[in-house]
Amino acid sequence: MPNWTRLQTNSFLECSARERAVGLVDEGSFVELGGPFDRLVSPHLVALGEAVENDDGIVTGVGRIGARPVFVISQEGRFIGGSVGEVGGAKMVGIIDMAIDFHDRLVAEFPDLPALARPLVAISFETGGVRLHEANAGLLAHAEVMDALQRARRKVPVVALIGSRIGCFGGMGFVAAATDAIVMSEFGRLGLTGPEVIEQEMGKDEFDASNRALVYRTTGGRHKYVMGDANFLVDDTVAAFRAQLAELCAEPVDSFERMRRIGSPELVEKQLRGVALAADLKPTDARDVWRHAGNNDPVGLADGPLSDFRKSVRRLAL
Amino acid sequence: METLLGQGRAAIDLIVDAGTFAEGTVGARTFDDPDFGPGAVVGTASLAGETVTVIASDAEAFNEKFPVVYSGVIGLEEGYKMAQAVYATLAADAEKKAAEKRPIVLIVDTPGNGPGKVEEIFGMNKATGAYQLALAEARLAGHPIVAMVVGRAISGAFLCHGLQADRILSLTSEFQTMIHVMPITSVSRIIKKDVELLEALAKSNPVFAAGPSFFFKLGGVERLVETIDGMRPAIIEQVAEIRKAKAAGAATQTGPRGRGSLGAERGGREVRPKVQELLRSEFAAVEERFRPRVA
Repeated sequence: MPNWTRLQTNSFLECSARERAVGLVDEGSFVELGGPFDRLVSPHLVALGEAVENDDGIVTGVGRIGARPVFVISQEGRFIGGSVGEVGGAKMVGIIDMAIDFHDRLVAEFPDLPALARPLVAISFETGGVRLHEANAGLLAHAEVMDALQRARRKVPVVALIGSRIGCFGGMGFVAAATDAIVMSEFGRLGLTGPEVIEQEMGKDEFDASNRALVYRTTGGRHKYVMGDANFLVDDTVAAFRAQLAELCAEPVDSFERMRRIGSPELVEKQLRGVALAADLKPTDARDVWRHAGNNDPVGLADGPLSDFRKSVRRLAL
Repeated sequence: METLLGQGRAAIDLIVDAGTFAEGTVGARTFDDPDFGPGAVVGTASLAGETVTVIASDAEAFNEKFPVVYSGVIGLEEGYKMAQAVYATLAADAEKKAAEKRPIVLIVDTPGNGPGKVEEIFGMNKATGAYQLALAEARLAGHPIVAMVVGRAISGAFLCHGLQADRILSLTSEFQTMIHVMPITSVSRIIKKDVELLEALAKSNPVFAAGPSFFFKLGGVERLVETIDGMRPAIIEQVAEIRKAKAAGAATQTGPRGRGSLGAERGGREVRPKVQELLRSEFAAVEERFRPRVA
């Protein structure tokens, strides 16, 4: 196991999935479930003669933050882009299901159990979505995760943490959007269609996938914070993500419903006001939306230090 | 051979009671603006005399405001419009018992979610994510949801419009139905394996090959329908079966979890239940540590 104290000051961006899982919860509390010694490898990669990982690229387990049991799912981008197949998908669903089941049993036994002693799920995303080597099984697993998130509603809060190299795209972009609260760093990216695919669909003039600044302006943490998609924008350290998660652990489940962006008819109406704005504004760049939100110098705001950004940014009101 | 590809509206008429489809009305909600989410067709019909909500894609429609929407693509407006139709369905039957809630029929023929810069700036993942959550909520509330694949059920679009249903039916591939994440030629290019090798492997392992029969083997499609006339009775039958399963308290037998079990039964996804069983047994061994510390 990595050294917990040293992990805290590490860049979240540079951390492996296991380091993130260990560092997010209290020191020494993380217990890996379905870990490498279980050799949960993808049989489909074996059939293709591809290299496998003994955790299939997703670290799962349970730890504590204070009195709260925190079920952790952490995706490893260095293994086939953090892609989700049959095994990894089953691990994700299995963890969320166990958290729901544990919640139900605890509440039956201790009806007055305070919020901060009830289970919570934290998902550290680093993925492009479905693993193409086992695409059909991966797609079906995504649907199961979405179903599990809906079943967790009003019972077990689910928090998304996005600040790793690959970002969070494809079908997992839906999954992140469907969680209760989203914590990002400025290096996190969240979306559905990755930059290369947009370029392929729209042409290089419209969207140049090699332009990193443009890519970050469109799906990066700062932009998603302006849009209200990221609830919290934190520094790129394990300690900063952990501190935000710990703060959330003190909240009762009802507070999480108020952090959501989708998941109710009212929220759909709210998002549709954003879509109407998109049709009116016809933004050619995310900066147009920043300006509309009341940020007169979007370029300066985007390039300045994060602490200044957090202080002075205006977020889009819908 | 006949096909319904690109003919979502025709498919609706072939399935519901003749002449009963009222587009643009679901419960108390009306969708009056013809320019709002034109790629999504929502409305109410009768099926075997029972009121049902119908949601489909219109492959002929083009969304002037969001030009990535054509040929049945689900864009920002379309995703939210479909979610609105589901929430209107929930509201319409809010007072009814679970067993009496109206069915929702999804006619599936869509090539994808809107891919574009504006879509990413505003968050395409939220639009169709919202639709998935609405469908899951309706399913869990008791509404029987049947998806009927009549054309394209491609990747993320199938995830949104189809895979949250209780049961999924598909016309067989003779009708040019397509269910996949990516065609095998593209998979071959990206994962750098010869198409010939992939096709040979697909004979014994259905996890990456394209087509309804492979999804059937994985439990991702409950039933294949072999004639166009067979769709209507098959959907009616599924609605009855779903109600029966839900009344028996077997909510895990339908929807994504039901298809997970079916995947193991049909031998297409055998590892999934083993992984989950292992997680459960390992947690049981340490659970005590995570229970409240009672004084």
